[in-house]
Amino acid sequence: MPDSNDTANLLNFIVDRAHVGIFVVNQKREILLWNQFMEIHSERKANTVVGQNLFEAFPELPQKWLDRKIENLFILKNFSFTSWEQRPYLFKFAHNRPVTGGVDCMRQDCTLMPVKDDNGEVQYVCFTLFDATDTSIYQSKLKETTEKLRDLSSRDGLTQIFNRRYVEEALEKEFSRARRYGNKLSVILTDIDFFKKVNDVHGHLAGDEVLRVVSQRLVNGLRDADILGRYGGEEFMVVLPETDNQGAQVLAERLRNIVQAEPIETAGESLTINISLGVSELYENTAAYAQLIAEADLALYQSKENGRNCTTLFRPDF
Amino acid sequence: MYYTNTASSKSDKKTAIMSIQPYTEDQNDALQEVVNIAMGQAGDSLARILGRFVELSIPRIHLVNVDDVIKTVTSMVNNNTEISAIRQAFSNSLRGEAIVVFAQTGADDLADLMGYDTDLAPSAEQELLLEVGNLLVGAIINGISDTLETDLSFSAPSLMAERTPLDQVLVPEQLSWSHSLLMEVNFAIEGRDAKCHLLMFMAEEAINTLRGILDEFMDGI
Amino acid sequence: MAIPVTVVDDSKISRKMVIRALPPQWNIELTQAENGEEAMAAYRDGKAEVMFLDLTMPVMDGYQVLERLQKEQLNTFVVVISADIQPEAQARVKKLGAMAFIKKPVKTSDIENVLHEYGIV
Repeated sequence: MPDSNDTANLLNFIVDRAHVGIFVVNQKREILLWNQFMEIHSERKANTVVGQNLFEAFPELPQKWLDRKIENLFILKNFSFTSWEQRPYLFKFAHNRPVTGGVDCMRQDCTLMPVKDDNGEVQYVCFTLFDATDTSIYQSKLKETTEKLRDLSSRDGLTQIFNRRYVEEALEKEFSRARRYGNKLSVILTDIDFFKKVNDVHGHLAGDEVLRVVSQRLVNGLRDADILGRYGGEEFMVVLPETDNQGAQVLAERLRNIVQAEPIETAGESLTINISLGVSELYENTAAYAQLIAEADLALYQSKENGRNCTTLFRPDF
Repeated sequence: MYYTNTASSKSDKKTAIMSIQPYTEDQNDALQEVVNIAMGQAGDSLARILGRFVELSIPRIHLVNVDDVIKTVTSMVNNNTEISAIRQAFSNSLRGEAIVVFAQTGADDLADLMGYDTDLAPSAEQELLLEVGNLLVGAIINGISDTLETDLSFSAPSLMAERTPLDQVLVPEQLSWSHSLLMEVNFAIEGRDAKCHLLMFMAEEAINTLRGILDEFMDGI
Repeated sequence: MAIPVTVVDDSKISRKMVIRALPPQWNIELTQAENGEEAMAAYRDGKAEVMFLDLTMPVMDGYQVLERLQKEQLNTFVVVISADIQPEAQARVKKLGAMAFIKKPVKTSDIENVLHEYGIV
């Protein structure tokens, strides 16, 4: 069994050499202890900082915030903490990770521990500083991956525009919002005229290319707040927040012209492609967002009946 | 009233729990008193920090089982409110997890009360919630620890949810504890008030351990 | 002669803690009250020459008791015992006529000090 002297030596050794930063300040913010981790990373030896005021020794520290945190600890007499997630670091130390993942310096978690005397008054604050760089790198990789995943699940694979589920959910949200604030809302449903013929005559690869190009042209014709999604095989839906059917009609016509303005080159052919469009708008008595879709669909059907390559606004007598 | 989990319970862990006795009036009384004392001290400390008169109180403590937690918290917080929440684990003689729930309006009120700009940057608002949560949880854990003379420690708090509907945050299947002590925390600073809710989740074992600790404490008086 | 002492607190445990902290050699006749109204009743029965009073109670709280006592110029030595220990609370009760303020959790030495200071024991 180690005797008390050995134990003291052992404790000193451990506190000094453990792979966490340990430093202690008193009520005057004077540094009383500065372990090897702190020495190495700050490049300041203990004997040059012990006895000095923490903020004088390290003017780059966020003094106002940190001083308040220390003061609160003396008053509250309880552990407190900082996290790299809210505050990336206390001290700007270099990190030693070969793969940076965009992190420029060490990320730090910190525990502030009150050291009390026999009367229960706090005499010192002991800081333990943990290197959280790895965690922060994994976290940002995870975030990146999650975002990619979210994209994958909301995008149509072929055209890269939003998929049906996404655009329907968007409509549902816009419908709620429009109802809550009394805003206008319109929906455009459009599909490619004679698309089946493109597939039959020129093959599915040509059909795919037509879908991609049409999607892109539609995207280019939108305004910032509009949401476009691939609703069906050759069908698209556009959600137009804060727009009435007059405004929607203007946009629909613009889209129609953009799509037909230039032929689409594919399969060694120059294909002229047109779209038909149906427009619906939100009324006071529109019961649900599905009704907007149904009405746009009826209007679209009317466009087909009227010879295609045109826009129709929904009317109740359809 | 007994909280008995019947065969209709969905998850395995709950069917394993037979029943848990609620605390007696005396045990509740003792727990309430411990928490009152802890809040008195925390309120005093907070007053010294803010330089203003602070009232910090926990009017009542409820013991609920996890399935009832949402129902109870929802009735205390406004329905359909978005909330932010922090979580903090505690251990040693009692093991569990504290969750502090702030209704969004509460978070703004708190910032205002504590003298921050209400238009805080997200990370600053998070820091505020974490600090206030840590203050409350720390005060209660320390209060229980000191007054009931039992060893308790807690670890760093972390952000659990931000501006999220309540029922997406407190999902019984995701909470690995069977019971919770539920406390409404009232802050009043110079006549204005804010509120948050503190849930101390524990397993049945810890609830029983605490019961024993309370009994021992009362015997010693 | 036994001094009539009333301990007022809505928490049974808290009353027990105060009673436990009373100096053992003090010769008293003890009454317990759960709220301000019971405290006033005890006073009228001559049972509250010394009163240990909590502040937060239902029905009638400690502040209201002090106000009543002050208004009716009633004669009892009141020591407030509270978890709310801020300077403002202390000042407020002193102004309302409480002789002393002790913060919870109450220790025997706290009570002894007060009693000695005012020559009661």
